Amino acid sequence: MILSNGERQSIIRRNQRIKLITFLGVLVLLIAIIVLVENMLLSSLLAFVMSYLLSPIANRLERTGVPRWLAVTMTFAGVSLFLFGFGFIIFPVLAEQISSFRLDVPKYIEGTTRLLNHIESRINALVGDFYAVNLSEQAEDILIAWTTSLFVDLPRVLSNSLTTLFLAPFIAFFLLKDGRAMTHRLFGLVPNYLFEFTLIVFHQVNDQMGHFIRARLLEALIVGLAVFLGLWAMGFPYAPLIGAFAGLTNLIPYVGPFIGAIPALAIALVNGESALTIGLALGVFGIAQLIDIFLLIPVIVAKIVDLHPLTVVIAIIIGAQLMGVLGMLISIPLASAFKVIFVNLYHHTLNFRA
Amino acid sequence: MVNFLWGNIFRHSRKDRHLQAILKECPLFEHLSAGELRFLAEIVHVRSYQPGEVVFFEGEIGVGMYIICHGEIEVYARYNDEEELVATLSAGDFLGESSLVEVESRRTATARAKQELKTIGFFKTDLKEITARSPLLGVKILTALGQVLALRLRATSEKIIELKQEVNRFKESRPTP
Repeated sequence: MILSNGERQSIIRRNQRIKLITFLGVLVLLIAIIVLVENMLLSSLLAFVMSYLLSPIANRLERTGVPRWLAVTMTFAGVSLFLFGFGFIIFPVLAEQISSFRLDVPKYIEGTTRLLNHIESRINALVGDFYAVNLSEQAEDILIAWTTSLFVDLPRVLSNSLTTLFLAPFIAFFLLKDGRAMTHRLFGLVPNYLFEFTLIVFHQVNDQMGHFIRARLLEALIVGLAVFLGLWAMGFPYAPLIGAFAGLTNLIPYVGPFIGAIPALAIALVNGESALTIGLALGVFGIAQLIDIFLLIPVIVAKIVDLHPLTVVIAIIIGAQLMGVLGMLISIPLASAFKVIFVNLYHHTLNFRA
Repeated sequence: MVNFLWGNIFRHSRKDRHLQAILKECPLFEHLSAGELRFLAEIVHVRSYQPGEVVFFEGEIGVGMYIICHGEIEVYARYNDEEELVATLSAGDFLGESSLVEVESRRTATARAKQELKTIGFFKTDLKEITARSPLLGVKILTALGQVLALRLRATSEKIIELKQEVNRFKESRPTP
């Protein structure tokens, strides 16, 4: 049977449409599973972070001639062993700090409220005739809500997500070992006319995410370490906890570093530390930020897609409204991924077929 | 034939072995060992096309090469706004290899499937992955790619010399006014 050119083209177009719908359908299904199945979102996010962190190690091992599965297994075994040993040293310290801090929390809340009361009475003495300021009542509510969420919700989330803790490394292992084969299958569904484009965009986004996650975590680790060392040298209470918190909040651009300094400031003020101690503690945070801005960001973070500060802030707000703290953390990598995809789509439609 | 001979040696599927046999015939991969070919076979992309379907368009940014498994590709170039058939490639032939190393290179011709076509696609990102995971294999492939490109360059230079000689002969044969 000889087909006319028009008939051929319509068969080609129909097949391409079917392939495209199947490809998009599989993508939507995967995203739906990740978002809708309980524990899946956090597990997959953690798994992605893990696989991005570990892939350079696995690749390096593979370069010595070890097969992929063995390289990945060795990487996981090595890292688990290291974390286990490290945990033996660090967990007792952190656990002790957290439990003693938990006992101290009411004292700090009360102290902060007292402090605010003091400020309030000063302000009211100045402007009370015109406008009554009532900081402490609101602040106490907020502080209690925050600390409950930190000490009640967090462990609950963590223990609820024992599933997550098992599922995430499990997914990460197979992402590292078979991720290539999985994406390969998925690419097999892409219609021919979109294939090269999909391949480029996928790899660009993948590279960007890898750089982003490795760079930001390394940055957070160094900032947290710097804060810890500085405070510890000063003999400041809860230095490891404050350092860990500062490192974690440093992952949130712009606002994170300020949030990171709040606990230390509150503790110092409530304990009635001298102005010198408070100044020194703030100096430690300042130095950590200077290291971050002038050393870490230019050297290790510079490769990341740059988003306009306004975009960053808007992305963080959207993330916070949709998913709370987790949303704040993942908003920036997601925004960068969208940027890479849209820039490429634009570039593609304009230039790919000149 | 080759598949039949290798039948009991590797436990990999028949399809994969066939893929490796085709890869082995390509000048880019002919020096690779069986293990390296197996590694490569997991990385390349097998693509199928309907008769008349376009593999790539002239002017498009090229990101890799294609080896023909079976079927034929017709290559069309545009001269004065008209498409002209410049080559027909068949099983074992390959095209687009220079885009593996060029930056933002554009395809200089349109490639279209003549019949049902199956190709092996090998792209920049695949080459990058190979150099990350197995640098030795990367070097082997890049060296072979260099040789292929050098051969193409030599052929082009010879063609230019030939054309120049022809132009000269043409000039000499014309009576001077």
